[in-house]
Amino acid sequence: MSSAADTLRRRILPRALVALSRVNRPARLAARARRGLGRDGRVELFFAFEDPCSAVAALDLEERLARRSVTLVLRPVVRRGIAGDPAAQDKRRYAIGDARRLAARAGLELTRGEPVPPKTCDFLAAWAASAPQGAALRRFCTQALRELWFTAEDEEPVSEARFAPIWREQFGADPPRGVAGERALRRNERRMRLHWMYETPAAWVHGQWFFAHDRPLQIAQRLDELGWSAT
Amino acid sequence: MSETAVDFYFSFRSPYSYLAGPRAFALAERYAVDVRFHGVIPMAMRSQSVPVARRVHTILDASREARRLGMPFGRIHDPIGEGAMRCLLVAQHALDVARGREFVLIASRGIWGEAIDVASDAGLRAVCERAGLDWRRCVAALADPAMRARVDADTDALTRLGMWGVPVFVFEGQALWGQDRIEDLELLLREARLEREGAGAKLSGDER
Repeated sequence: MSSAADTLRRRILPRALVALSRVNRPARLAARARRGLGRDGRVELFFAFEDPCSAVAALDLEERLARRSVTLVLRPVVRRGIAGDPAAQDKRRYAIGDARRLAARAGLELTRGEPVPPKTCDFLAAWAASAPQGAALRRFCTQALRELWFTAEDEEPVSEARFAPIWREQFGADPPRGVAGERALRRNERRMRLHWMYETPAAWVHGQWFFAHDRPLQIAQRLDELGWSAT
Repeated sequence: MSETAVDFYFSFRSPYSYLAGPRAFALAERYAVDVRFHGVIPMAMRSQSVPVARRVHTILDASREARRLGMPFGRIHDPIGEGAMRCLLVAQHALDVARGREFVLIASRGIWGEAIDVASDAGLRAVCERAGLDWRRCVAALADPAMRARVDADTDALTRLGMWGVPVFVFEGQALWGQDRIEDLELLLREARLEREGAGAKLSGDER
């Protein structure tokens, strides 16, 4: 590699990224304009039902944002992580213990000790992706995540029969069938990649993204900076 | 008296390792634990792919965290390759002469906050001397196969733990990944009644 290319890669690009990360004025102006139009702030959470850290983050954000004029937009995904990641299994196993510790901070107890087998939650993601954004979807997702991670135990199957009553309670109809949910999931996944987010739980907060389970206080601080403080 | 240990897995190429360093080493002042440093070879030098999106996010997030912690960050010289390996080898020598903490903190600040090119002799020498190390002995360490064997052993130990990235802390068989998990580690240390008398229960973020 040429010396110039090496300097660009090692010094200039990282420094430029850091400098860009400190540019906050456009986001502040946009937030002020948004408030002027009477619109709430917005946090988009990209999450996976099979990810226990997503469960912790969704429940935490739902509670934190309730005290602010900020809408929580829930975007379930199935495809996440680094393609061909050799550590994928280790990460899934580690996430259980990590989520247990994080949940304990919020007074919750994770009832599972093992990862949920891949694909077993895909139906939940498809249901949720096909639903319109709003309070009913938020209630469905948080109740389903509670059921999945803070009520059910390892040996209990993740079945449609278990979660359909939660759906009916919120939407007054049977869970959706067909490919609409799949298409909506792919849209969510594309949107996640467009924001350069590669893993869940990822929160997009007016131009910046955060791992939502790691950075709840920083998300709150970002909203404070933009003028959407807790009341 | 031998103390309980916290094993601290660290990479000079990891900005989160840099952010964790001061708080990790300070644990020994506040708790009756020996903080054992293990320098590991960066993921990207272990045939593990690190996508661009992840690298970008890491820099942006580490920048925010550095501001929160009040640590210098942004004048970067990525040490991937020779620079990272040279620091790992010198760190082994520094541990032998009881200057491990000083070298690790000074070299990582040089990389992430002062744009020091540790692959160059001038850059590495500057951080070695600031850490109180004899440059000639550091040069000898760079060519010492025993130092390289220790680096490889530490890297293998991380893999055997089932962990992939750093920083990682291991206490009584429990591994915690991430500079933001020192809070959880401190909880475990307090539960084990290892807090030193008069040390107080400061929050991790207060350590600068």
